[in-house]
Amino acid sequence: MSTAPLDPAATAEGCGGCGKGFCDGKGRAIFKETSWTSNPVAVQTLGICPALAVTTRLENSLVMGAAMIFVCVGSTFMLSLLRHTTPRRIRLIASVAIIATFVILIDQFLQAFYWEMSRQLGPYVGLIITNCVVLGRAEAFAMQNKPQLAFVDALAAGIGFTTILAIVGFFRELLGEGTLLGYVVLHPDWYTKNLVMVLAPGAFVVMGFLIALFNWVQQKDVQGS
Amino acid sequence: MKLLERLFDQTRPQFEPGGRWHLLRPLAQGTEAFFFGASERTELAPHARDPIDSKRFMMMVIVALFPAFLASVYFFGLRIIVMMAVSYIAGGIVEVAFAIIRKKDIHEGFFVTGFLFPLVVPPTTPLWIVAVGVVFGVLVGKEVFGGTGRNLFNPVLVGRAFLAVAYPAPLASGYVIPGDWGWGRLTQYITIADTDAIAGATPLGLGKQGEFGGLWDCLLGSISGSAGETSALAILIGGVFLCMVRVANWRNVAGILGAVFVLSAILQFSDPSRFGPPLWHLLTGGLMLGAFFMATDPVTSPTTNTGKWVYGILIGVLVVVIRNFSGWVEGVMFAILLGNLASPLIDEIFVGLRVRRLQREG
Repeated sequence: MSTAPLDPAATAEGCGGCGKGFCDGKGRAIFKETSWTSNPVAVQTLGICPALAVTTRLENSLVMGAAMIFVCVGSTFMLSLLRHTTPRRIRLIASVAIIATFVILIDQFLQAFYWEMSRQLGPYVGLIITNCVVLGRAEAFAMQNKPQLAFVDALAAGIGFTTILAIVGFFRELLGEGTLLGYVVLHPDWYTKNLVMVLAPGAFVVMGFLIALFNWVQQKDVQGS
Repeated sequence: MKLLERLFDQTRPQFEPGGRWHLLRPLAQGTEAFFFGASERTELAPHARDPIDSKRFMMMVIVALFPAFLASVYFFGLRIIVMMAVSYIAGGIVEVAFAIIRKKDIHEGFFVTGFLFPLVVPPTTPLWIVAVGVVFGVLVGKEVFGGTGRNLFNPVLVGRAFLAVAYPAPLASGYVIPGDWGWGRLTQYITIADTDAIAGATPLGLGKQGEFGGLWDCLLGSISGSAGETSALAILIGGVFLCMVRVANWRNVAGILGAVFVLSAILQFSDPSRFGPPLWHLLTGGLMLGAFFMATDPVTSPTTNTGKWVYGILIGVLVVVIRNFSGWVEGVMFAILLGNLASPLIDEIFVGLRVRRLQREG
């Protein structure tokens, strides 16, 4: 499809009314597939780097996830709009340029309004540019599908990513610092902080159990149906 | 014993499939196997069996660990027995839960894990930390890999490493000066609250500051340290016994102790004020316990004889490097875990070499 010659008329087809709701009635299936059945982190094990690095606190995980959703949705939607006008040979450069634009937007936004959070997230917001989840959705989906489908798909990937980060962040903050979103839950008087959870090995352990849980549940799903 | 046997005979039907307690079958089976040998015979050929099955194997290890256990109770008091009970109960729950889920019998390997674990932590470690450590060790070190025989790392050391990183402060303050000669601390129960008064730095900790204590104390055990590693003599008695009955392979042990001895000798020759004497290195810390009881774990060490030498020497070199050149005081735990990590690779290389030689010879 992407080998099609440059044809301005073809882009119009991308936004054409389908008459069957927002996204050809395929939205729900796509959403489930991308966010659950092949969850970017827990099943495809993509984007592990930020999932390990920023999940020391639940708040950081959520902000990182929000940035991810913004970049993923914005850039893949844009790429999908341009999919017929992008020559195949330079599509990777085009994707990275578009993704980078959105990443810089959100990075500047965080630096301007949430400086403390931006400092805590360190380079990881900027590194979304090279995040396999975004690039993967762009390459595997947005390049071949209509913008509204790409939108649903990217949203699903972003939400799937954020959910995993939030779960990992929840356990790491709770066990490692005894707090949740900064509020003391496990009081230091009787709770001894588990320092493994603050360090990278804790993220690996929580992530390992999460992936095991995913495999177990999905195996049951397959057997059940 | 007769009474116990009758009890098992009477209750057994309850645990068979269809019985009232059939879900708890692994628990009953495990308890019975602990007291009596397996009563059923193999159904298929070959019927001749070597008497050394994995149960005997594990019981030998526990017998060999007994001197070290008694020494730890003598030097650090009755609390060690309580820690042992906690370790067995907490780890046992995980083990039984997995046996029930997998519908398999409890494996005897756990008896060693549960016995060894309290011996590798400081004598006044809070009981809940002992429980957390042994649960983590059994769960992440063993069960997630598929149970006994499939684990990549020694479960005891996985649990110990977890505690070392997770709760450094309670562990570091848990060391105690051992009891004096005579009755030792045989009648005392020391908790972490008392250790402010009697906390004792370990010889390795003092060694970092250039103070090397007397070798005689290290050998007999009147030094501070983890519960079971205090008396090198007691460990040696058990360890040599274990090598003689061929449960532990002497090549692993010789590789480690030899490498530590030679390397420390070279280091001490270069700068005696900074590096401890080789014999002191052999007798302090967890080296003896690790070399005889953890590095010899047949599951996590290489299978070929040459491989065992390489594995032992690798661990020995790592121990010396970590002890002398890193921020950690003791390196045996990390050295053995790294050795575990290398052992599949070592096997791959040496089994491959052997296969190639056999092929060449036709």
